[in-house]
Amino acid sequence: MIVYRKRRLVEAFMLLLAITLAMGGYILTHLNIDAELPEQWPWALGILGSLALLAHIVVRIRIPYADPLILPIVMLLNGMGLAMIHRLDLGSDPLTHSAELQLMWTSVAVAVFCIVLIVLPDHEILHRYTYLLFLAGITLLMLPLLPVIGSEKHGSRIWIQLGPYSFQPAEIAKIVLAIAFASYLVDKREVLALAGKRVLGIDLPRLRDLGPIAIMWLASLAVLVFQKDLGTSLLFFSLFVVMLYIATERPSWPILGILLFVVGAVASYPFFSHVQTRVSAWLDPFSDFDRNYQVIQAQFGMAWGGLFGTGWGLGRPNLTPLAKADFISAAIGEELGITGLLAVMLLYGILATRGMRAALGSREPFGKLLAAGLSFVFVIQVFTILGGVTRLLPLTGLTTPFMSQGGSSLVANWAMTALLLVITHHARRPQIETANPVTSLSSETTQIIEVKA
Amino acid sequence: MSELVIVGLKLGFLALLWLFILFTGNVVRTDLFGRKVNPAELSGKKPTRKERKARKGWPKAVKVTHGAQAGTVVELGEGILIGRSADCQLNLDDDYVSTKHARIMRGQDGYILEDLGSTNGTFVNNARISAPTPFALGDTLRIGRTLLSVEK
Repeated sequence: MIVYRKRRLVEAFMLLLAITLAMGGYILTHLNIDAELPEQWPWALGILGSLALLAHIVVRIRIPYADPLILPIVMLLNGMGLAMIHRLDLGSDPLTHSAELQLMWTSVAVAVFCIVLIVLPDHEILHRYTYLLFLAGITLLMLPLLPVIGSEKHGSRIWIQLGPYSFQPAEIAKIVLAIAFASYLVDKREVLALAGKRVLGIDLPRLRDLGPIAIMWLASLAVLVFQKDLGTSLLFFSLFVVMLYIATERPSWPILGILLFVVGAVASYPFFSHVQTRVSAWLDPFSDFDRNYQVIQAQFGMAWGGLFGTGWGLGRPNLTPLAKADFISAAIGEELGITGLLAVMLLYGILATRGMRAALGSREPFGKLLAAGLSFVFVIQVFTILGGVTRLLPLTGLTTPFMSQGGSSLVANWAMTALLLVITHHARRPQIETANPVTSLSSETTQIIEVKA
Repeated sequence: MSELVIVGLKLGFLALLWLFILFTGNVVRTDLFGRKVNPAELSGKKPTRKERKARKGWPKAVKVTHGAQAGTVVELGEGILIGRSADCQLNLDDDYVSTKHARIMRGQDGYILEDLGSTNGTFVNNARISAPTPFALGDTLRIGRTLLSVEK
């Protein structure tokens, strides 16, 4: 009989190391730019340290068997993102203060993380609300299309504006829909996997079972067409197809999904100028310097960074437009070099494998699917945005999870982390604590039940 | 700051970043198989003080004194299986031993040796056993041509 260790002490140590690295980036930036320690460093250390401590304590109390690596990795990525945003603040003219705002959002995100852990001791509860969550997810996804509250920024209509606050409902939708997909597929996977004809060695699903994939395909197309957001569209469609594949183990689903995506992309390509711009920036950026300015600047930055980077604060990542948001990985690549960028990619990789490990270890199908789906959301975000920045793929506007500037994405990703940790806790907990002890009937005492006449 | 210090700090930061990744790798590695627990711990029953006191004079292990693996010591724990098959805790390399030859169980009052229908029989102090037989410290067990002594 084998039982996982709790390893909370390992988590505490790794958290300490993560905070050290984040503070290291912050202090090195100031040392390299002003040759002196930043004035507010005790404040930064205090806030970041207490956030880590709070998250750690809540994990210790609520989910003591949770995976020990996920929280420190998330903290490190978030901390390094904060340090890099602060560094970009210092380099911008006029001075901006987005790092302070991002730190505030980090606090909100950690609070949400703790709240999820406190109110949701068992992810199985979420299994009850399949269709409600599906509806809520689709509604959230379509919310920016509404006339008054929806607003358009940088060419994409993915924001809603409520007074002075704006946020991206798609970020919340990706959690809601991941849960909805998982619970839908747990109920329906047999019929999706087994019924249907076999054509060319591929098990095709029945036509009426194609309903949900058709709805998701249309929803993704609607996002692509009306919100003009390639990344979000790709994220949701691929999430659904991957979860279908994991649930049914039938390769026909990804093949069908890729075909549908290719059809959609090719058919819409001639009508959307922004897609054409992205493709030209991917294949041949130097053909149009002004239009592909952002991608070209990022390329120059990373080339200048080389193997070990210029060092914190010594590069010029501000030359790239939107360096704090979409192109923060380019800023990392410039100042920490390929060594640092690869480390960051590896951290995302380890995060995703820990999620997949939880999926493998989980003892019930809903937890398995949800853990796999949530890990895949991290993977697809990192793959598309880092692929876009390094010109492996056409650039799509997804956020770099935990690092790039933006409150809604940060909060949503921390909430996803909390869900993942709850699943790992249930997967790693020794069986005896989950099993209901069966008391034998013979050990019960005889009772006399009075029957009223 | 001098150029050298800047480069040193830069490389130091990257080294620490990769050290973090090496630590994660180590945690993943040590986390693969978890830790071993014995079934008693899982069922929530810890041996009471009385039981622990009673077990004080019990044997702890058997040692091979004669045979190909002379010198091998195996702890008894909850009980062991003896034989030539690979899933036996005491895996004997002896042609006169059956695949699953005998087993040792922990009973209420001490360890018990049971023959599992072996071809050549199991002996406690040179007497062939036909039923589960208790044994004590200092006894000699014979499995095939292998002699085991019961040790503290």
